[in-house]
Amino acid sequence: MDMAAHAEPKVDVVRRRRANVGRHLAPFLFISPWILGFLFFTLGPLCFSLTMSFFDWPVVGERTFVGLDNYRSMFMEDPQFRESLWITVKFAAIYVPFNIVMSLLLALLLHHATFASGFFRTVFYLPSVISGVALVTIWSWIYSREYGLLNFMLSLVGIDGPNWLGDPSLALVAIIVASLWGLGGTMLILLTGLKAIPKELYEAATVSGVPGWAQMLFITLPMLGPMLIFTFITSIISAFQQLTIALLLTKGGPLGSTYFFAMYIYDNAFKYFDMGYAAAGSWVMFAIVLTLSLVVMRWSAAWVYYEGEVRPADGDRDA
Amino acid sequence: MPDMKTTIIGSLLALSVAGAATARAEEVLRFATWDTGESLAIQQAIAKKFEEKHPGVKVQVEPYAEGYDQKLVAAFGAGNPPDVMYMWNFPQYYTSLMSLDELIARDSAEIKPDDFPEGLMNTARIEGKTYGMPSGFTTQVVFYNKEMFAKAGVEEPKEGWTWDDLRAKAAKFRDEAGKVYGFAVDAKPDPYDFEQFLWSNGTKYISDDGKEIDGYMNSDAAAAVLGMFADMARKEEAVTLHLGDETGGDTLFQGGKIAMFQSAMWDKADIDAAGFSYGVAPLPTFGDRPAHSALGVSAISIAKDAAHPNLAWEFVKFFSSPESVAMRVNDLPVRKSVAEAKGMTKDPVYKPFFDILATSNTERHAYLKNANWSKIQDNLARAIEATMIEQGNAKAHLDDAVKRSERLLK
Repeated sequence: MDMAAHAEPKVDVVRRRRANVGRHLAPFLFISPWILGFLFFTLGPLCFSLTMSFFDWPVVGERTFVGLDNYRSMFMEDPQFRESLWITVKFAAIYVPFNIVMSLLLALLLHHATFASGFFRTVFYLPSVISGVALVTIWSWIYSREYGLLNFMLSLVGIDGPNWLGDPSLALVAIIVASLWGLGGTMLILLTGLKAIPKELYEAATVSGVPGWAQMLFITLPMLGPMLIFTFITSIISAFQQLTIALLLTKGGPLGSTYFFAMYIYDNAFKYFDMGYAAAGSWVMFAIVLTLSLVVMRWSAAWVYYEGEVRPADGDRDA
Repeated sequence: MPDMKTTIIGSLLALSVAGAATARAEEVLRFATWDTGESLAIQQAIAKKFEEKHPGVKVQVEPYAEGYDQKLVAAFGAGNPPDVMYMWNFPQYYTSLMSLDELIARDSAEIKPDDFPEGLMNTARIEGKTYGMPSGFTTQVVFYNKEMFAKAGVEEPKEGWTWDDLRAKAAKFRDEAGKVYGFAVDAKPDPYDFEQFLWSNGTKYISDDGKEIDGYMNSDAAAAVLGMFADMARKEEAVTLHLGDETGGDTLFQGGKIAMFQSAMWDKADIDAAGFSYGVAPLPTFGDRPAHSALGVSAISIAKDAAHPNLAWEFVKFFSSPESVAMRVNDLPVRKSVAEAKGMTKDPVYKPFFDILATSNTERHAYLKNANWSKIQDNLARAIEATMIEQGNAKAHLDDAVKRSERLLK
């Protein structure tokens, strides 16, 4: 009798558990396309490329295991590696701050604009919609030595314009300017952040007689912190992955002055068909970007405030 | 619902059965080419003729166009290469290609190997084995605008002219206001084509065994060639192309902005279309040495793992037959007999292309000698560009290219 009494609820538990499993499984089923996509198109290739980086891997012909040889010869022997990395670092050092400061200024301008702000928001965002190839075509018209728009404008004021893309000392600057063309995306993120700052903060500050610059410094920038840090990291990543514009506008020239690290990887893979070496290069780039992002995150913890975050008071921090 | 399901499955089955049936009825030969436009149309016409002669065979022409190498490499990497394909980069691919020597020997009555110039066959050979049949070629020449020459009262170039002659003529066309020049030098020439000037001046990029570049690529004779072009740019005898500007020499020549233009068959159709009267001169010589030309050769090869190897060889044979060769009007006939039958070896426009072929048999292109050549070549290309930008210092830049490339020679 006891047995039967016990058996009854047991069935029930199992049934309930089954229902629970179904409930827990459902969300995973819903996102399964993404999970499958991630496994097959991201994680899979990722592991595959890591394996490749330890091989001498020509696309046609024999593959041989070489251990760390690809990494060794890249660091020890290949001048192209150092040069392309240096160019990329230079590019990032100029591009990233410019991208953020200019986006912020534009966002502030639009945030405070009272006249046709919707129109200007579209105008400023529009260029970042243009795809890489079209963008490059436009800039090659602008920069052309003899028939370019830029040098035509300069000639109107009596200046004999330089050879923007043909001069090794100018080409990198030209690429940076062309890359900044797409800052509309960053601007939009910061603008959203500005809109989200509660008005009460400014009202309270104004009532207390806090001047505008101080409001900017002590309300706007701190409240924008998470957005700034996000755009900072994404700008670093996109700076290191810069390829399209340089590949199409200058092909890395003149004299390799715009030969970015991503192009070095691209050439190894699709020009020399040295897949293992290219994979090794990609992993070096991954390591660099990861390190930079971690450094930025760690450093930002000191000044970025997330809503809902509880911070120790100053006294506690000293203790 | 179950009814729906069976219908769908049923129709899917029917479709796949139908697909299998058509595949069985027609043998499909895959043929990959990099050509587009008119040249592609010619190849499709040749494929059609082949289908007519082989009932039940379908030739699937796959025009990969831009990015040909990437797509071909991907096909080989995936183990699914086309049966027959256009080929030039034999060092890169030869391990995956079928060696044709036995087949050529077996069918020599049809092929007539002697009808193909030796220099063209050499571009398809690696370590003495033949991996492709030449299908079209071009050598390099100098096109000149007869109307501009007449107007400026300059004597037209003639056979046996030298680079000094060219420079003297070019200087007379310089017109600052109209941006008109006598000649154009490319700051970023394809190093493959550029080697012709080294050959013409008695040197080459790399030793014949493919192991030495020091003393070749940076020899005095090589530096003299490069220095001469830089000098032409400095003295404005020539406009410099591709220094941050994508306007090509073809555009300038067709627009009457340069009087002489060094190029090859690939520009002839457009020059014809530009509608002015032009002449064709051979490449100038350095002193009394014979001029050599780079050979632009397209060949067709068979994949080692071709799905239909026998059919593929039949196709290659047909592609190399006098009938097909004669159809290829967008480049030059690879069969001597066809060139002669068409009277091209005597026609003043075509004669220079064929004349120079005879002296261009003696050298082999650098990429056939060293597996790492494409990397070395990029260092070389940079030295050439640096020289053109600085308009001098050829020797120093070539030395630098050699130094950067030494590690790639092993």
